Amino acid sequence: MAESPALSPSSVSDVAPPDAQAPLAVPPARGAWSLAPPENASATGDRIDALLATSHSFDLALAAVMLGWLLLAVARFRNARKVAPDGGTRRSRAWVLGLAVCAFGVVDGTLFLGSQGYLDDVLWNFRVPMEDPRTVRIQLNAHQWSWEARYAGADGAFGTKDDVVTWNDLRVPAGVPVWVQLVSTDVVHGFTLPAFRVKLDAIPGRVNQTWFQAAREGAWEVACYQHCGTSHYRMRGMLTALSPEAYAAWLREASLKAVQAYDPDDTAAHWGWVWRTP
Amino acid sequence: MKAGALVKSLWTTDPQRVARQYLWGGFLFLLIGGLLAMLIRFQWAWPGQPVPGLAWVLPESKGALTPPTYTAVFTMHGLLMIFFAVTPLLFGALGHFVLPLAIGSKQMAFPRLSPFGFWAYAVGGALMLVSFVVRLGPASAGWTSYPPLATPAFTPGLGQTLVTVAVLFVGASAFLYGLNFVVTVVRCRAPGMTWGRMPLVVWGLFYGAVLNVLFVPVLAAATVLLLLDRVAGTQFFIAGAAAVGGGGDPVVYQHLFWLFGHPEVYILILPAWGMVGDFVAFFSRKPAHGYRLTAGAMGVVTALSGAVYAHHLFTSGMAPVLGRTFMVLTLLISLPAEVMFLNWLMTLWRGSVRLTSPMLAALATMVVFGLGGITGLALGAVATDVPLHGTMWVVGHFHLTMGAASFLAVFAGLYFWFPRMYGRALDERLAKVHVLLSAVLFIAVFGGQLVAGYAGQLRRLYDPYQYTFLEHLLPLNRWTSWAAFALGAAQLVFVVNLVRTLGWGRAAEPNPWRVGTLEWTDAAPGAVVLRGPHALSQPEVQEQLGRDWIGQAEPLSPGVPVAEPVAPPVPGVEGAV
Repeated sequence: MAESPALSPSSVSDVAPPDAQAPLAVPPARGAWSLAPPENASATGDRIDALLATSHSFDLALAAVMLGWLLLAVARFRNARKVAPDGGTRRSRAWVLGLAVCAFGVVDGTLFLGSQGYLDDVLWNFRVPMEDPRTVRIQLNAHQWSWEARYAGADGAFGTKDDVVTWNDLRVPAGVPVWVQLVSTDVVHGFTLPAFRVKLDAIPGRVNQTWFQAAREGAWEVACYQHCGTSHYRMRGMLTALSPEAYAAWLREASLKAVQAYDPDDTAAHWGWVWRTP
Repeated sequence: MKAGALVKSLWTTDPQRVARQYLWGGFLFLLIGGLLAMLIRFQWAWPGQPVPGLAWVLPESKGALTPPTYTAVFTMHGLLMIFFAVTPLLFGALGHFVLPLAIGSKQMAFPRLSPFGFWAYAVGGALMLVSFVVRLGPASAGWTSYPPLATPAFTPGLGQTLVTVAVLFVGASAFLYGLNFVVTVVRCRAPGMTWGRMPLVVWGLFYGAVLNVLFVPVLAAATVLLLLDRVAGTQFFIAGAAAVGGGGDPVVYQHLFWLFGHPEVYILILPAWGMVGDFVAFFSRKPAHGYRLTAGAMGVVTALSGAVYAHHLFTSGMAPVLGRTFMVLTLLISLPAEVMFLNWLMTLWRGSVRLTSPMLAALATMVVFGLGGITGLALGAVATDVPLHGTMWVVGHFHLTMGAASFLAVFAGLYFWFPRMYGRALDERLAKVHVLLSAVLFIAVFGGQLVAGYAGQLRRLYDPYQYTFLEHLLPLNRWTSWAAFALGAAQLVFVVNLVRTLGWGRAAEPNPWRVGTLEWTDAAPGAVVLRGPHALSQPEVQEQLGRDWIGQAEPLSPGVPVAEPVAPPVPGVEGAV
């Protein structure tokens, strides 16, 4: 099974993060009824959460208007003796159109503009990881049912002897952009970091990419959101955000070990690709 | 019964009888799909624990769902509900019943297509059922059957293949009645039944049928290619990845599937919208507010429905320009939906609202559809879709629209037309209890799913609590499951009502709801339709006929004295005028 870290010699390290299959010791911080999204550990997650909260208040307002209007109409006109025998007047129809356009403008307009801003600045703005010299690049290969991550190692190039490969164990430095390129070996998987508001399909035959930035040190879960077979629910990994120094130390050491453990005949382990720029 | 007579009764070209065949077929699969839903809910409340009473089906696990069983259960739940329960109930049953009658035609345009359609559906349904007992069980790749998961390398077994063939059969059925409905509405309307005089339910069925004709073939194409990948060794959807080494592209399937899949959700709701539009008018005893606007808005939604589908693929790594385009198109569709919804609300205003069972069901449909529509807004914008994509939020959202709303609309239609379909009147009290319980519990169940999804719970997890960040949702999911079990149990109220009525029910009156549409007022052959579907509370009608309704083809001669002084009340309503 891919879950065994023994498959990859370079995942052994001194600064070991919590075991990927063991539950975290941290108790859940929120109750089930709090209507709160997962904890936010992303440097850019606030924006998306704020937009979601806005959309939430729109939801509530629209639902209240709908229910209130409906109940009021039923209560007020139940078995009424007088009926307006028409399908509305020009004026009432104009009101309907006007109200619809206003609600549409406010609600959809807010969502659209907020979304556009987030796409321009964060989600589809690869200039941030491209232009930041500190950016960490990770190649991620999804399998039934594990996440295999590849780091370029000391030489900075993928597909070389010193590549560090980990299983279900992503390590990133906090406060630094992390640029992920994602493939799948078998079926369609879904790579998500719930605490980072990251979601991206892993699709055989293509390289998808996304980026994120950890706001602080800590450990959070990696999950799969696309049904990928019987053990879909166990496709769980951990992401550990270390201090940049600790991360550099880990990578250096793991890279040295990778060179020692390199096996030129192990073709299954040679899956990296030349980094793609968008 | 002789063999010939049996064949004749099963292979019938009478749309009324075809409707009843679909009704029973739809109920059968609604029951099976519903029971599967209960299993899913049990699993999320007590993961991996034995389901009471299931040990005889799953002896090896003593009745507990195993991960492979669970994947089969949610896959079959989705496929059965969408293709074999809700669509056949809305179109096959209510559509075949009301569409020809309501436009003043005794027959469909192609009467002999109807039995072909029904039997294609029946064969498909039989294949679905057979797939449960073959080795390795039924389909388990999700209702979307995404390759490569749906190819034999990852989902071997005859079951997945049988189900793929079953989808082709039921697709053939949907295409055939779609074609039949479209041509019937275009060609077979009674004299005087102009487009502007059609009941809104006919509009809804017509638009839905157009979508069937246009987009079911897309599903069929994708499914045939997938079937070839399964049985003929082709590699249409198998990409050149290490484990499989083909030359195709799984994303092509996703695009084809959702090019059908998104119109499909409108196929499932358009007839429901039509019924709501008609019933709020009928039971507010006044014409629908902005009839042309409503029919037009439904048309705009229909036209847009094929151009929004890629919001299902916002996280597939599609080109940003596509993502932005589909975001705009998706958000745009909420405008006509709002116009339609406001028109329904305005129809109630200054009417005389009668809370009959069809009206209660129509209002409940409005509410659950409204909630489902509202919660879909965040899924239409890329940024807010990302945190919600693939979570229970999506599940709650689409179950409110195409699950709860379509289901309640089916019952609105059934309670409304049952007297005409079976000549017997259902018990109003039981019907109202059933509608109210179902509506409240639907909101509880799918509301619970929305909350879980907002908290990040991902879909289709055998054991969500494997994830630490979801552990705290167990109590919420348990309560939601209890609500789901109660919802399932509440359907017994309907079963009791149905059995009692069919066995011992009183004969229904010819026009129990006092409305003027042709399925109730049965215009004489050759009669000319004179007015729209909601000519209610018209002063000149009240003056001359002494009632607040008039048949669509009923002549009203000027100056004729009042026939009866008082209008008979709408039954089941105290204080009705």
